[in-house]
Amino acid sequence: MSRLLEAIRGQKLALVGLAMLALFGFLAALAPSLSPHDPEEMYTPMLPPTQLHPLGTNDIGQDIFSELLYGARFSLLIGFLSAATSMAIGLCLGLISGYCDGLGFAIMRVVDVFLAIPRFPLIILMAAFLRPGFRTLVFFFVLFGWPRATRLVRSWILTERNREYVDAARMIGASDLRILSHHLLPSAIPITLVRFIMEFQHVILAESGLSFLGMGDPTAKSWGTILHYAFEYPTIFISDVWVRWVVPPGACITLVVLALTLVGFSLEEWANPRLNRAWRRT
Amino acid sequence: MRVAQYLITMSIVLSLNFFLPRMMPGDPLSYLTGDPTADMPVAISEEVRERLLVYYGLNEPLIKQYTDYLINLAHGNLGWSIYYNAPVSSVLLGRLKWTLLLMGTATVVYVALGILLGALSAWKRGTKTDIGLLLSVFSFGSWPPFFLAMLLIILFSVKLGAFPIGGAQSPTGSHAGGLKLAIEVTYHLFLPSLALVLTHLSGVYFLTRNSMLGVLGEDYIRTARTKGLRERDVLLKHALPNALLPIVTMIAMRFGFMIMGTMFVEVVFAYPGMGSLIYQACTTRDYPMLQGAFLLIMLFVMFFNLAADLLYARLDPRVRRA
Repeated sequence: MSRLLEAIRGQKLALVGLAMLALFGFLAALAPSLSPHDPEEMYTPMLPPTQLHPLGTNDIGQDIFSELLYGARFSLLIGFLSAATSMAIGLCLGLISGYCDGLGFAIMRVVDVFLAIPRFPLIILMAAFLRPGFRTLVFFFVLFGWPRATRLVRSWILTERNREYVDAARMIGASDLRILSHHLLPSAIPITLVRFIMEFQHVILAESGLSFLGMGDPTAKSWGTILHYAFEYPTIFISDVWVRWVVPPGACITLVVLALTLVGFSLEEWANPRLNRAWRRT
Repeated sequence: MRVAQYLITMSIVLSLNFFLPRMMPGDPLSYLTGDPTADMPVAISEEVRERLLVYYGLNEPLIKQYTDYLINLAHGNLGWSIYYNAPVSSVLLGRLKWTLLLMGTATVVYVALGILLGALSAWKRGTKTDIGLLLSVFSFGSWPPFFLAMLLIILFSVKLGAFPIGGAQSPTGSHAGGLKLAIEVTYHLFLPSLALVLTHLSGVYFLTRNSMLGVLGEDYIRTARTKGLRERDVLLKHALPNALLPIVTMIAMRFGFMIMGTMFVEVVFAYPGMGSLIYQACTTRDYPMLQGAFLLIMLFVMFFNLAADLLYARLDPRVRRA
């Protein structure tokens, strides 16, 4: 943990990323008390920004600023939940398949099949037919998120299990279970964390894309949904409403993804010492 | 082994494509009549319903329906579009050329630019140029393509009036011949390609940079330098060709996945390719069209993934031997 903090402290960019994430997390967590209005409540449509409505209202009179705050909640929650679940499954299956050869082979064949499926097109197609709510969406993202994590953890374990400290532990009589839980599991956490950040990013982009197409959760307030309705509005490009209707949700998605990139970039150096050396040549 | 694995994946995708509409909530005919929860569902009488079920083979046992579906696919029959009232395959084929044109243009540009900037960055490692490039390429990589596309339209088409707001040619364009048409198409291609290039640059750029950094640390580069070769020759003739190896496979892989980004950009620019078609199919609930389009996209992505796998094995002698 201290190594993690040290790695991050040395990196101004990672700090910036973390600060941005913290800010968005704060806004998302406190959305109900921070937002001036209920995002579903309808006022006069297309109001320009006023003190009452900082970003004005949309075509059916909903307060855009409040929509934005609730959108942060939805995007971050779905990204975090999906990525965390995928990583948990990937970590377990990766450990098992890296340690037990027979079972590992079987698991990896399933992983191979999943990895060859183009996940984003399939998720859009499934969403078009099955009309997902929040839980179904998380299920979709996890369904195609765990294989990558599994393969990553497995390849890590395959090299790690031959290291001397594992032999040493085995020699003093540690059981397989103990080696897995006390030695191999902790060693795989850093790379899983890096993958978690990338998966988080992927889910946020995929969900916003899905919602932009109008295929997301229709009842939810998400940044992609706001952009969907803005894009459908006839004079969106010609009038100046885009300044308060298109830019804020788009900038939010971009900033969250950028923040995750910055954090992930620094984490990767910390997690992968080999990469670290190549990097130091710079 | 690889090919077998892709065949299994393909059969899973094909089966999913078959079962998805049958897993849809509600009547099997809602697939044909549109949204069952719409404000005005299409009302059909019991007699018509029976006839439609028979006509579409929906009264047959599932296994018979499944084999029929596979046979139809093998004949290139993807179903009948409700919105266009035409075969899905012919509508798709008409749109495909625009998508390929857009993707092809963007790929050529972003690969060239990515390699150039990546090599420059690696050469100037640690300097302001390197950091500046790194940061700007990274930040463009974070933009959702549809958002960047919308901003490009607002800035370049609406505010500056420099480029058309959308489409692939002007309404009168198709009457113009030869060169004039080519200029027209290029003109319309510029902004959508720019959106794709900016959002896809980071992968190639970063890979080139890392790969170059690795190669530049090798002994033979030092040898080349001590021989007194000019820095430019060291970079272009000795370092770059070796650094490009991992990039070739990446491009093949990316080309498959890029179709999703292209789809969003097309939607925003109303570019008449497959992306706009899919968006229209989404909003009009034209399910057969959606299925056909996505099946084509998935096969496309899988084809390029497989190509990348095989290409990698051929290009890198170390992998070939293993």
